[in-house]
Amino acid sequence: MQEERLTAHLRDRPEQLREAKKQGVKIIGSLLGNYVPEEIIWASGAVPICLAHGGSSDMAEAALSVVPHVICPFARAQISERLLKKDPYYTLIDMLVAPITCQHLRKISEIWEHWEHNDDIEMFKLGIPHKYNGDFELEYYTDRLRVMKDKLQAFTGNAITDEKISEAIELYNKMRGLLKKISLLRRAPDTPLSALDFIRLNHASFYADPVFMVDFLDSVYQELREKQQVNKGDMPRLLLIGPNMGYGDYKVLELVETVGGEIVIEELCEGVRYYWQDIENKGDLFQSLAKGYLADRLPCAFMRDSAKTRLDFALKLITDFNVSGVIWYELLNCETYDSESYFFAQKMGERNIPILILESSYGTADAGPLKTRLEAFIEIVKGGIAQ
Amino acid sequence: MIELLRLCGYEEKEIASDLPRVERAFSKLGITAEDIERAKQRLNKYYDMELKGVRKILRLCIQELVNWTLAKEEGKTKFIYAFMATGFFDALGYVVLSKSKEVYVGDLCSLHQLILGSIFDKIVPILEAAENKWLKAGAVAHCGNVKALVGLITLDLVPKPDLLVNSGVLCETAPKSVNLLHEFYDIPTCCYDTCQDRDIREYPEATKRIADLLLKSSRRLIHMIEEIVGFKITDDMVREANEARKQLGKALDNLQNLVSSSDPLVISANHQSLWIQLLFLPLSKDRLPEALDAVNTLHEELQERVNKRVGVVEKGAPRIVAILPSHYTDPSLDHIVGEMGMALVSTDMFFPVSDLGDIEDPYEKLSVEGVQTSIHNSLARRVVSITEGCKKLKVDGVLDRFHIGCRTVTADALMIKDAITKELGIPVLLVERDDFDPRVCNHEQYKKSLEVFKSMLTSER
Repeated sequence: MQEERLTAHLRDRPEQLREAKKQGVKIIGSLLGNYVPEEIIWASGAVPICLAHGGSSDMAEAALSVVPHVICPFARAQISERLLKKDPYYTLIDMLVAPITCQHLRKISEIWEHWEHNDDIEMFKLGIPHKYNGDFELEYYTDRLRVMKDKLQAFTGNAITDEKISEAIELYNKMRGLLKKISLLRRAPDTPLSALDFIRLNHASFYADPVFMVDFLDSVYQELREKQQVNKGDMPRLLLIGPNMGYGDYKVLELVETVGGEIVIEELCEGVRYYWQDIENKGDLFQSLAKGYLADRLPCAFMRDSAKTRLDFALKLITDFNVSGVIWYELLNCETYDSESYFFAQKMGERNIPILILESSYGTADAGPLKTRLEAFIEIVKGGIAQ
Repeated sequence: MIELLRLCGYEEKEIASDLPRVERAFSKLGITAEDIERAKQRLNKYYDMELKGVRKILRLCIQELVNWTLAKEEGKTKFIYAFMATGFFDALGYVVLSKSKEVYVGDLCSLHQLILGSIFDKIVPILEAAENKWLKAGAVAHCGNVKALVGLITLDLVPKPDLLVNSGVLCETAPKSVNLLHEFYDIPTCCYDTCQDRDIREYPEATKRIADLLLKSSRRLIHMIEEIVGFKITDDMVREANEARKQLGKALDNLQNLVSSSDPLVISANHQSLWIQLLFLPLSKDRLPEALDAVNTLHEELQERVNKRVGVVEKGAPRIVAILPSHYTDPSLDHIVGEMGMALVSTDMFFPVSDLGDIEDPYEKLSVEGVQTSIHNSLARRVVSITEGCKKLKVDGVLDRFHIGCRTVTADALMIKDAITKELGIPVLLVERDDFDPRVCNHEQYKKSLEVFKSMLTSER
C-alpha cells in the first residue's frame, strides 16, 4: 500500500513539475553527493531536485563521444543525460547547482558550462573545500552558500529570509530524522526492510516533493515498527561502503539478496553521510548549514585526511549493526575509492573482518562473475574466515 | 661512470672529487654499469649533448640527485618534501635551504623521473612498487606521477620525510595517497588547497577568490614548516625568494619564447622537460645563479642557431602546439615528432590565462600564480586560452595528448579538440598516454598516428 503511494507520486512528479514551471516556479537541480543544502533552494520557493540517475550502461557509454573512458560511469551518465535530454528531470531544471567535489563531478559541471551558452539552464558552481574540518574552508563554504542564496533570490525573484530557511531546515531535518530512524530499525537481528528498499526510499527523496516525502517516510516508519519480524536464519549481515549508488544502479543490491546475504547498513553519499545528523536550526543559519553539510558530516573519500575517520566510522557501524562482512562497491576509474579500498582491506584484515571489493562500470557483462564472487564471499563470511 | 659525468658537463676536477659520492648514490639507487651504458646511449640519442647549456642543466640535476640520496648520511637531519606543490613550495624551499644547513628540501618526483626515467630508463620498478601497494595497475588508470611518489618512498630511495607537503589544487588522488602514506608509514603531511569553482563569466575576479583560500591554506603550512626548521619565515624572506626565482622564471620564459618563435625549430621538444626541471630543483641562494647560468648559456647557444638558421627540423616544417608538457620519463615520444619533420614549438602550459597585475603580498602572488596555468583552469577557460595561444603562434595543428592518470585534463581532451577544430579549422591529433609512465603508450601506433597527422598538416597548407 505504502509502496503504491510512492510509485504513484514519482510517476506523477514530472507532470507536477511541469505544472509548477507554468506557474513560474523554478526547478533547481543539484548533483549527487549531498553537499548542496536543499534548504536554501526550498526557501527560495524553488523545487530542489537531486540528479542521481545511474546504473545504465547505455548512458555511461553515450558520453564517450564527449569524455574519455577514465571518467567514472556515474559522471559520464550525467553528461549523457544532458546530452540526450531524454529524462524529464534533466530537462525540467532551470538551474544546476553543481557541487565541486571530486574531479569527475567537477567535470560534469564544466562540460555543462561549456554547453551552457547554447543551452537553456543557468549554472552555479558551489566549491566544496576538500579540507572538510578547516576553519578557513568552512568560512569559504559559508560564503559560497550566501552567494548561492543571492543567486537564487535573483533567479526566482523571491526573498530568502531567515524564517524561510529555518522552516526549510525543520522540514529537511524531519526527512533526515525519519530516514535515520528507519535505517536504525535495521540494527535488530531481523531487519524489517532490505537495503534495496531503503536505498530506493533514499533515492525517492531526491525527486519527490519533500512535504509528501516526510509524510510518507513517517507512515513507512510506523508500519515497519509494527511489522512482524521474520527470522532470517544465518543470513550474513553486511555493510556496504561506496561513493554513490545511482538511482537505478541496483545490480549489486539485487545480487547480494539473491546469493543469501543481507546489507543492513550503507555508508554511501546518499546513505548515512546525509541523514546521520540534523542541521542546527538556530543562530546564523548559513553557518549552521555549512557546518552540518561540510564539517560535521562523515567525509567522502575524496576529502583530505579522511581515511582514518572513515575507517573508524565504518568500524562503529560494524559494531552497532552487528555486521560480519563488508562489501566495498566502487565505480570504475574512481581513484580515491580504489586507493582507499587497499587501506580498508588491510585494516579489516587485521580485525578478521571479510571484505569484498567490487568495481562497477555499469556494464551488464559482469553479472555472472559478480554473482560467483558474491556467492564465494557469503560462504567465507558464514564460515567466519577472513579473506 | 666517468664518461657519463663528462658527458653531463662535469669538469675533470669535479669528477675527481665527486666520483665516490656519485658512485655511492648511484649504488643506493640501484644504478648498474649496464644502466650507465644505456644512459649514455639515451643521452646521445635524445638530447642535444653538443649544447653546453644542456650539459650544465644535466650536471645540476645529477648533483642534486646525489645530494638528495646521500643527504641523511651527510648530516641533514630533517627532510621536507613537496609533491605537486610547485611554485609556492619552491619559494619556501629557497628560504629554508638558504638559511639552514640541517634541513633538506626536495620536490618529488620530477628530478627522479628525469634521471631515473628519461636518462636511465629505470622508472618502471618504482611504478611497480606503488602498484603493489594501493595504486594498482590496470583499468583504473592511477596517475604515474603519484605512483612515482609512493614508489620512491616505499622503496626508501629518498630519506623518510618529516613533512610531506601536497597541493590538492589539481586532483584528489595525490592527497589521498599522501594521506595513506601518513596512515601506513607515519609520515607527517600537510595539504594546502583551494576550490575550483570559477565560473567562466567571473574571470578574473574569481581567481582572486580561490587564490585567497589557497593563501590562507598555505599560511597554515608555513607554521608547520617553521616548527620543523626552527626559525620564523618572514614575508621579507619569501619576497626575496620570489624576486630571486623571478629571474629564473624570466630566463626560462625568454628561452621558451626563443624556441617557440624559431624557424627552423632550434631544439627538439623533449628538452622542455629538461629546462622545466630547474623550476623543481631545490635551489638555495648559492645554487640559483648556477641554474640561471645554465639557462642563459642555453639561450645564447640557441640564439646562435637562430642567427645561423640552423635547426633540428627543416625551415617551414609544420608548426604544432602540444597540450601538456613533454613526457617526464620517456624522451622518445617528443623526440620522434621532430624526427618526423614537425616543429613542436610550445605547449599550453606557457599560454597565459589571466593577468591580475602586480601583487605586493608575496604569498598572495604565489597563490595567484598557483591557479593560473592552463591546467588549473576550467574547460571553458582552457579552450579560450588554448585557441588564443594557437592563433598567436600561428600553428598548423595541435597534438592534444592527454594524461589518463589525471581526470582533470583527460576530461577536457575531446572538448578541446572539438573547439579547436571548429574555431581554428586545424587538425588535432588526440593521444592517450600517462605522462609519467613510459609503458602507457603504444609507440608503433603513436608513430603511425603521427604519420597520418603530418600528412594532414601538409595537405591543409
